[in-house]
Amino acid sequence: MAVRDLIPWGRSSAPAPRSESTHPFLALHHEMNRLFDDFWRDFSPPSFEANSFGWPNVELWETDKEVKVEAELPGLDDKDIELLLNNGILTIRGEKKSESEDKNRHMSERFYGRFERQIALPTEVQEDKIAASFKKGVLTVTLPKSPEAARKVTRIPVRAN
Amino acid sequence: MANEQQGTQLQTAKGQLPASADGERTSTRQVFIPVTDIYETADRIVVLAEMPGVPPDGVDITLERRVLTIRGRLATREHGGYRQIYSEYGEGDYERVFTLSEDIDRDRIEASHKNGVLHLILPKAESAKTRKIELKAA
Repeated sequence: MAVRDLIPWGRSSAPAPRSESTHPFLALHHEMNRLFDDFWRDFSPPSFEANSFGWPNVELWETDKEVKVEAELPGLDDKDIELLLNNGILTIRGEKKSESEDKNRHMSERFYGRFERQIALPTEVQEDKIAASFKKGVLTVTLPKSPEAARKVTRIPVRAN
Repeated sequence: MANEQQGTQLQTAKGQLPASADGERTSTRQVFIPVTDIYETADRIVVLAEMPGVPPDGVDITLERRVLTIRGRLATREHGGYRQIYSEYGEGDYERVFTLSEDIDRDRIEASHKNGVLHLILPKAESAKTRKIELKAA
């Protein structure tokens, strides 16, 4: 048995295959296995997948000199978005108001209401040189790293012998 | 197996299923189902679809019989020199297909795109409009 099979979250999330067997003991055996499988499946490792931290979704990018934060904020105006920086934590907040007025029957999947997300920046940044733009529903915040933080990046040459 | 993996990837990237389960895609880009609001008034149906990052000229709307297809092509984002350190949404196109139940006046369909949201106004045809019938006192 491979080690990987022993790790509960290494298993696929697909339901355990159910046997067509009608033998009572075998059926019970399968049923018990399935119960254990279902039990362990709930102990999945913390996921960093979409929507686990609420709305809006964000992405972080960096170079040696800058950090870039992007957030998908469709349906908002630039004046509805508030950006704050405090102790290396970038806060994006605002309110998304419903655009529809006289509605009868309604199907809604979109998010509305107040939102706030706090993003811990990976390095120190120059607070006076932060730039933010909002285009096509995507917010882009560019934060230049502080000279100290930028200096910490050391490139080590790899030599072939 | 490869298909299955791609399917999960699509699911996790935006909590959505692949837009087109049947047939192969010619592009390897991910396709998301745009999150949509639909509401109906007496004379029209309004569709609001979120497609952040899509420029107005990247939106393609077709209506064939009763099948309404919305496509949004994302302009490749410029990340020159940047490396990604954290991702929640990924990059991809948007596609969603609706089947309309009312007869739509095709000539008066209006579409606009603002702040990454597509606004689609589908006026109902005369025959499909809600009519209020006045009750006459006998």
